[in-house]
Amino acid sequence: MNDQTVRLERITKNYGTVDMPDNLNLDVAAKEKATSEPMVRFENVAKRYGTLTVLDKLNLDIARNEKVSIIGPSGSGKTTVLRMLMTLERINEGVIWVDGEPLTHMQKNGQMVTASDRHLRRVRGKIGMVFQHFNLFPHMTALQNCMEAPVSVLGLSKQEAEARAAELLDMVGLGDKKSHFPIQLSGGQKQRVAIARALAMRPKVMLFDEVTSALDPELVGEVLNVIRKLGAEHNLTMLMVTHQMGFAKEFSDRVCFFYGGKIAEQGPPDQLFSDPQNERTRQFLSAVLEAG
Amino acid sequence: MNEFALGFSVAALMKGVAITLVVTVGSSLVAIFLGLIVGLIRISPRWPLRWLAVIYIEFFRGTSLLVQLYLWFFVLPIFGIILSPWTVAILGVGMNVSGYGAELVRAAIQAVDRGQYEASIALNFPRIAMLRRIVLPQAIRSMLPAWGNLLIDLLKGTSLIFFITITELTTASKLAADATGNYLLFFAVALFGYYFIARALITPFVRWLERRFSRGFVREVLV
Repeated sequence: MNDQTVRLERITKNYGTVDMPDNLNLDVAAKEKATSEPMVRFENVAKRYGTLTVLDKLNLDIARNEKVSIIGPSGSGKTTVLRMLMTLERINEGVIWVDGEPLTHMQKNGQMVTASDRHLRRVRGKIGMVFQHFNLFPHMTALQNCMEAPVSVLGLSKQEAEARAAELLDMVGLGDKKSHFPIQLSGGQKQRVAIARALAMRPKVMLFDEVTSALDPELVGEVLNVIRKLGAEHNLTMLMVTHQMGFAKEFSDRVCFFYGGKIAEQGPPDQLFSDPQNERTRQFLSAVLEAG
Repeated sequence: MNEFALGFSVAALMKGVAITLVVTVGSSLVAIFLGLIVGLIRISPRWPLRWLAVIYIEFFRGTSLLVQLYLWFFVLPIFGIILSPWTVAILGVGMNVSGYGAELVRAAIQAVDRGQYEASIALNFPRIAMLRRIVLPQAIRSMLPAWGNLLIDLLKGTSLIFFITITELTTASKLAADATGNYLLFFAVALFGYYFIARALITPFVRWLERRFSRGFVREVLV
């Protein structure tokens, strides 16, 4: 074990536990085809802002149920990967595939054309996202935050949506905060509501964009615990951008290190953290662990 | 002071107050309704719609209210469209103010935090549902104080309907003052009358709306 691993072991500490009920009904979608086809595929995807190339010819496959962490210095394009997959950013080149069908494009008369709104909305329904700054709806209670989209997007009845929302809030340990407005919740509680809200749409893929970066240090653990629980108990494909190296190491199946709009290095966390091959990765990891 | 003139003038003045109230409430409703509609069209993803809204706003906001009233009342009949003074008063004042209102609506919608739009997209909301359920409740809250100003301004603007033959509060006061010679009394009454309508009607209405739309924005005592 080299120095870095020792430091990592220290960072990967036990966060307290949160009481959460079991037996959630999240896996309806995941029970179907367990094919070898990747859940998400980036195929030669490029993203530019004017003359600035943020991502250059990105090729990345994410298997069903795989947990992938994306790390890298700021400006390396890692958040853009999630935002493109959530269709918050248009891509300039390439195709993104989700669950075997193109997300950014559709087939029309045998040709691939830019996706229509309808197509986008249908495929996008398989993806859920949690944001760094929570983005909860401030005028709704925790319960209403989790009910709104199932009712107005999926067409669930109020009762069904409420049952689903209550179950999820229980799962993230906020059963007693259902009627609280976001302003009445701590950062960690807000982020857990945001996770419940995304899960209420029954996504197959969950994206986590630096979900603990805006939290006080002592609140980070409660959010990571919820993500751990999700990963352990449900067949969700997860893609997360994170600065929590300890968590990335312990939780992910694969870690991708982004640098300058490209994947500079990727691999299983044990290998990437303890024996990075790329000079940039080494520099980044030592800088981060120094600070951590 | 001639008692007959005084009694007659007070009766006319009360009628003037009632007329100002009716036109204020009527044209406020028109202004709010059209302001919301045009403000929403102003941010439509389709450019021809956006342009129509811009033209509407430029016309009603950019030209004089009095000239607009004249246009509806004296020019439209040339083309065979004859509107009653009441219709012109309520629609004319209402549409004029809706031009300003539409810009308040647009500004408030565009000021809603970007994260709210991103969360709505991530939750797959259709555009209409996103506007109705997520964006508008927050935008309305922030645009209300400006609407309060606008409606008070509208109230005062209603004195211009004198020029299309309606004897509203200002006109009634002037007539009463002329008839009795007591200018101090009747213009004081008019001044206070406007202030009272603004303070007793418009401000409480806007405050009530502000409270209604502020749930979740102000930290309430936990129960």
